Amino acid sequence: MIDATILLWGVAIGSIYVLLATGLNLIFGVMKLVNFAHGELLMLGAYVSYSITTGLGLDVYLSIFVSMGVIALVGLGVERLAFRRVLGADKLNEIFVSLGLILIFDNVAVLIWGEDSKLLTSPFKGMGLHFGDVFLRYDLLIAFAVVVAILVGLLFLINKTKVGMAMRATSQKSQASMLMGINIEHIYIFTFMLGAVLAGAAGTLFGIIFPFNPYIGALPTIKTFAIIILGGLGSIKGAIVGGLLFGIAENLASATLGSIWGDAVAFALLIAVLILRPKGLFGEKGD
Amino acid sequence: MFTKENLLKLIKNTKGRLALLAIAVSLVIPLLLSDNYMLHILTLIVIFTIYASSWNLLASSGQGSLGHAAFLGIGGFTSSLLAINLGIPPIVGIFLAATLSAAIGFLIGITCVRLKAWFLAMVTFGFSIIASTLFSEFDEVTHAILGFRTPPLLFSSRLPFYYFAVLISIACVAVLYFIMKSKMGLAFKAIHQNEAEARMIGLNTAKYKLYAFVLSTFFAGLSGAIYAHFQRYIHISIFSADNSFMPLMMSVIGGLGTIEGPVIGSVIMVFIDHFLINIDPFLNSALSPLFPAVSNVGPNIRLVGLGIFLVIVVILLPKGITSLLRKLYYYVRTEIIQSE
Repeated sequence: MIDATILLWGVAIGSIYVLLATGLNLIFGVMKLVNFAHGELLMLGAYVSYSITTGLGLDVYLSIFVSMGVIALVGLGVERLAFRRVLGADKLNEIFVSLGLILIFDNVAVLIWGEDSKLLTSPFKGMGLHFGDVFLRYDLLIAFAVVVAILVGLLFLINKTKVGMAMRATSQKSQASMLMGINIEHIYIFTFMLGAVLAGAAGTLFGIIFPFNPYIGALPTIKTFAIIILGGLGSIKGAIVGGLLFGIAENLASATLGSIWGDAVAFALLIAVLILRPKGLFGEKGD
Repeated sequence: MFTKENLLKLIKNTKGRLALLAIAVSLVIPLLLSDNYMLHILTLIVIFTIYASSWNLLASSGQGSLGHAAFLGIGGFTSSLLAINLGIPPIVGIFLAATLSAAIGFLIGITCVRLKAWFLAMVTFGFSIIASTLFSEFDEVTHAILGFRTPPLLFSSRLPFYYFAVLISIACVAVLYFIMKSKMGLAFKAIHQNEAEARMIGLNTAKYKLYAFVLSTFFAGLSGAIYAHFQRYIHISIFSADNSFMPLMMSVIGGLGTIEGPVIGSVIMVFIDHFLINIDPFLNSALSPLFPAVSNVGPNIRLVGLGIFLVIVVILLPKGITSLLRKLYYYVRTEIIQSE
């Protein structure tokens, strides 16, 4: 029997995947960069919020802004010091650099915060709405609303502003946009930081809903890649639909078949979609 | 293949000399060691050479797999289970395991030939997760969750095993070398550089990509089977993502798409894995007061350092350590030998 609570949790984890996936999709679309360390930014975001809320007593939901800012700076550092230097080499070199970064970030987090699981304490702890048997936590609702707000802002940025236009141009043909006077170096930095900001926000939301430790980053990243591939590379609509589908499929499978099946079913769904549509659900046609 | 002329040619060029030197070193080294642990590590290097080389062959056709651990595991479990349940001698079993791995590789390959690089990486990664789940779900057959003791491969002492592994590894690397030098290897390279253009000049790219998949998964399965009989134990953790990323790291640090890259890479990575750990107590005593959150800081500081080292290596040497060796070789040849 399908429980509505399971669906809700699927949507909750799905909407966090959506944030991560949109960021990664932007970075991949504009820079053609494969960043497997993106999930580490989510992990760091959760820890930054943890330090802010326990150290300064700031509200968790306000700490989102701090974590977005700090992670943007981390993103800047990562882009300048590591990824910028391997851009244009073989894609496998980028994965290699990401694996190195995962080692660095995971262990730095252990050194600073320790290995124990942590949870951000929400002001709405234990509160929520009752719909018959279904209990809807306020935190899930807020997380969903925050994700929607961020996505609306992002779509506005990409479609209506000059920077957004430059980003779209760079993603289509970086050399041609360079000739049109776009400083693609700056666009790359901006895009990477934007992706990092989304990961930072996702980290705080993740930390409010799920307990976290320094090693949570790796699996969400790979799932996020699966999601943007499921949805179609470069498509934000695809990332949203893919993220929600993936989250729900994973949660349903865990609940009905047993927890070990969660990841397997989600990836089986991905493979099935790719067999039918090699470019993903909303992927662009052509070569 | 091994006519007198060919052998003479082999001795005359530098690459051939280096290859012969490497083989000679690998054969002589264990005789100089009294230490069993060192022999264990050397054998691991040799097995990982096969594994990394198999991955490298697939990558040379533009298909970077992120789920090769699936084939390592399938190879290992097949040979071990055949030996335990049906009494098939492991020496036969390892080849049956490699064949089964290649057959499954063929099926995965069919789904992958239409996909672009990133899509393929995800499908292979997903397959390793699915394989791991299936092996733990059918635990009554596979005994994967608790793991089990595997029978020895012909001999249970270490030295003969080492020599056997070296011989198999030399054979595998030689086969991969001839494949990469053949018309098929050229086709792989063409597909890697630009698949659309390769198709335009009349290459059947789907066919060649499938060949690469089957060959690569055959050798990956073989290495997994040898690995299982070497460790004398097999467990579900063989499917871990670490094992999938390992050949990538070995090939990239050694030199992607070259024949010697994975060999050099597996030497480096296995050594790092087993010897760098010795600096932990030192790090612990020196830096422990700085990090109050953790009781044992040694491993974490070591891994941060390792991460930084790996990133720097790949930034400075994007084509791997073999590119440095090549530069050195040309420098010696042009500057030193010619000036004489």
